[in-house]
Amino acid sequence: MVGVLALGPLALFAASAQANSLNPTATTRKNSGTPNSNIVVKKNGTVIKYGDKYITYSAPSSKLDALGQALFMENCASCHGTQANGVPANGVAGAYPDLVGLGPATIDFWVASGRMPAKDTTAVEAPRRQAALNPQQAEAIAAWVNSLQPSFPYIPKPHLKNANVSDGAALFALNCAACHTIEGDGDALAMSTFSPSLRNIPAYQVVEAIRTGPANMPRFTGNLSDKQVNDLTKYVTTEIQHPNNPGGFGLGGLGPVAEGFVALLLGVGFLVLICYWIGERT
Amino acid sequence: MSEHDEHRTPVSLNGLSADDPHLQPAAKNPATVEMVISLTFVLGAILVAGFGAAYWVDAKPWILGATMGGGLFFLGVGLVAWGKYLMPRGPFVEARHEFANSEADRDAFAAAIVERGGGVVKRRKMLAGLLGGGLGIFGVVAMFPLLRSLGPLPKGTLFHTDWRKGSFAVDQTGRRVSSGDLAVGSIMTVFPEGTQNSDRGQAVDQTVLIRVSNAGFTTQKGRETWAPLGYVAYSKVCTHLGCPVGLYEQQLQLLVCPCHQSMFNVTNGAVPQFGPAPRPLPQLPLYIDGDGFLRAQADYNQPVGPGFWERA
Repeated sequence: MVGVLALGPLALFAASAQANSLNPTATTRKNSGTPNSNIVVKKNGTVIKYGDKYITYSAPSSKLDALGQALFMENCASCHGTQANGVPANGVAGAYPDLVGLGPATIDFWVASGRMPAKDTTAVEAPRRQAALNPQQAEAIAAWVNSLQPSFPYIPKPHLKNANVSDGAALFALNCAACHTIEGDGDALAMSTFSPSLRNIPAYQVVEAIRTGPANMPRFTGNLSDKQVNDLTKYVTTEIQHPNNPGGFGLGGLGPVAEGFVALLLGVGFLVLICYWIGERT
Repeated sequence: MSEHDEHRTPVSLNGLSADDPHLQPAAKNPATVEMVISLTFVLGAILVAGFGAAYWVDAKPWILGATMGGGLFFLGVGLVAWGKYLMPRGPFVEARHEFANSEADRDAFAAAIVERGGGVVKRRKMLAGLLGGGLGIFGVVAMFPLLRSLGPLPKGTLFHTDWRKGSFAVDQTGRRVSSGDLAVGSIMTVFPEGTQNSDRGQAVDQTVLIRVSNAGFTTQKGRETWAPLGYVAYSKVCTHLGCPVGLYEQQLQLLVCPCHQSMFNVTNGAVPQFGPAPRPLPQLPLYIDGDGFLRAQADYNQPVGPGFWERA
């Protein structure tokens, strides 16, 4: 543990490569982000689509491979190597992680959410920002990396129409709220890391994050079914992202601190001014 | 007191005439002030009526609050301004008669009470004793509901959870957890089967199950068999003040308590490495049965949660 801390931020990326070695056959539960699902579509012996009525996972189109390779060489290879298998940095093997075998959803999430290519490669945690590459380019990079070694999970598409928001809220409180807060605003965590806000994240990226566990986030595979992930995603993209603030102001969802600040400083301050006006010096 | 304040010397209310300086409004231009106050009253009335309308059409709460708050605010401002600028300035003094009886009257009354009353009570020593006994018994009896409200004695329950040898680990819906359910880097909350819906199960038996590797994992010497296939289980109850330790950072391999930021290292037996927690989270020894289900080898080998006075 001490070693990991001493190696600093780069080592954090390294750990994700190990953690993401998902063996789909080891998952006993059906419909949990792997081809162990109700619907599996194959073409030339290769799985190109799987899932169920809640979420479908599609392989990125192999037609994008060439574009993806070009984009990878331009944007990613300087850190992750020309074979996407990671390179040592500061003498630490795997400090820039091996991307082969992580599954297209992982690559797509990091690129489409603007976290990669990293703006600051020494940062402890890459923040979500305006994506440098558009969604199709992200998919292309995922397609090329996947062509090196096909792996799961594929890029998900949740079907939210019939999802159950109420079940999603319960699952959110149980699995997500500890780190992301009950309002989904994100918060500080250990060792300069933080859990990001969920206010501005598209539905398919919510599923990608749940299924792949980016950075320090745990992965949710066999313990959440596709139906449960679908419910969760609906809750995040409706109630969390469009909160119904009964008081008119959400105050950033920061809870009693922000509310106390407003009540005491602004509210009591205003009352003091009123008293000053009512009162009269004798 | 300066010369121009002379008209504010206290005067008696009796014998004032209408043109007396004490009865003039404070404002120099009362007509204008009256108009402004009228405006605030009208505004307040409109807003209060708006509150009624908003209530009728079931408007959003913030509209209800804004109309009622604004309406009362303007009515109040008008009222204060009326008192402050249009009322006679005074100050006025109204003499008030003394409330208290004279010293002599009070002394005489006290003397009479002591002299006559004391004698009467002393004649009935037995009654006084019986009354005192009744009240004393009532005082003792009154303690019963107080003591009972503290709840049953915990006895041995603080030392044990409901995990037993062979207990199945189940999720919050009661589904048994099997060895393929978690990928490396995943976390879930489990309970011993049958307790997942009970208060005690959720408070005392709650356990975090984390998969840290694909092979058996040793957190500490003597715990070589406790984490089969990399499944490590710790009590979810913080050893500091009992909050649920639910924040798992998979790359740092830390469990973080949301209340006071205690951090427990998952790989070495949840030894606290930061924060106020005094002890490691107890680790639950697991095994995987022939059907692939995760089960407990035994209960925790030490009490879970915060310290208590009988704890060794």
